[in-house]
Amino acid sequence: MRIMIIGGGNVGYYLTKSLSVENHRIMIVEENRSRCEQITSDLGPRHIEVTCGDGTDIECLREAGIFDTDVLVAVTGHDQNNLVACQLAKDYFGVKQTISRVKNPKNIRVFEKLGVDSVISSTERIAGIINQELDWADVNKLLKDRSCDVRLREFTVGQGSAFEHKCLKDLSLPKGLIIIAVLRADQAIIPGGTTCLEAGDMVVVWGGEAELAAALSQPANG
Amino acid sequence: MYIIIAGCGKVGAALVNRLSEEGNDVVVIDRDINNFSRLGSGSNCMTITGIPIDEDVLKQAGIEKADALAAVTNDDNTNIMVAQIAQQLYQIPLVIAQVDDSEKQRAMTAMKLRTVCSATLTVESFFTALKKGEAGK
Repeated sequence: MRIMIIGGGNVGYYLTKSLSVENHRIMIVEENRSRCEQITSDLGPRHIEVTCGDGTDIECLREAGIFDTDVLVAVTGHDQNNLVACQLAKDYFGVKQTISRVKNPKNIRVFEKLGVDSVISSTERIAGIINQELDWADVNKLLKDRSCDVRLREFTVGQGSAFEHKCLKDLSLPKGLIIIAVLRADQAIIPGGTTCLEAGDMVVVWGGEAELAAALSQPANG
Repeated sequence: MYIIIAGCGKVGAALVNRLSEEGNDVVVIDRDINNFSRLGSGSNCMTITGIPIDEDVLKQAGIEKADALAAVTNDDNTNIMVAQIAQQLYQIPLVIAQVDDSEKQRAMTAMKLRTVCSATLTVESFFTALKKGEAGK
């Protein structure tokens, strides 16, 4: 794939580095000249084309090869520049896919409404992970260190959620997930099939990372 | 009219003063509080210190009830983003963005954004003046 990256800061640099080993053609646009030289000397021997200039400038985008671009990824540190780069790419140059980073998580909605195909906020991702994982951080670190891709997670049964008043045997949990404990008030219940979940129960789940992510992203768990 | 001006530079401040004199309700946003000194002591408009591309700042400025917005900061991309938020997310009837890069201005015009480019206007003025001068010879 032909990928144009706007912004050669840390995100742009490591993105370029990761993608370039997968046989993509990478074009990177960065405003700071010494940064460009550094990128060229570090990553140069591979298939990387570095253009020094403003990635929201039409002439610069042309020069960098925007007409040959399948995907544009905007990862500068300024949300407004990322937005304009994506819009010029998509609406003016006809690039099919645009991906942008936003610094302010509130701009996710704004960018999506203004036509950017995929919007990523590292702040929001990290906050999400912390919320999910904080209490199990040590256990999960141990698992990760041993290269196991199973994790522990917890969630609380919401009022009116699909899990409320349900017995475990009636829950259609995906394969590879086990509920290992239900914490209700001060009580820890080691559950069996007839254990029924109530609103406010904290449920501790053990399972593969992918299965957990899929199961817990369902709004049903409240 | 209830009008929001993003950016209190030379253009923004002059615009604010003139619009307030004509009896409009004007709110001006700038990230630097010192820039509001440009408004002069007699100004009675509302000032908000903040980044105008932050939706919370725009809400504080009353974007939900504004009749018009002019984005005149010294950064084209900020102006474009603010104007698009106003136009597409809040359906403000009259939105204008200052875009000083003339090629970018054309691209934004094609994307249904109303823009003003000071470089283009200056060139026009010079050109008209020169033509008049030639005709007067």
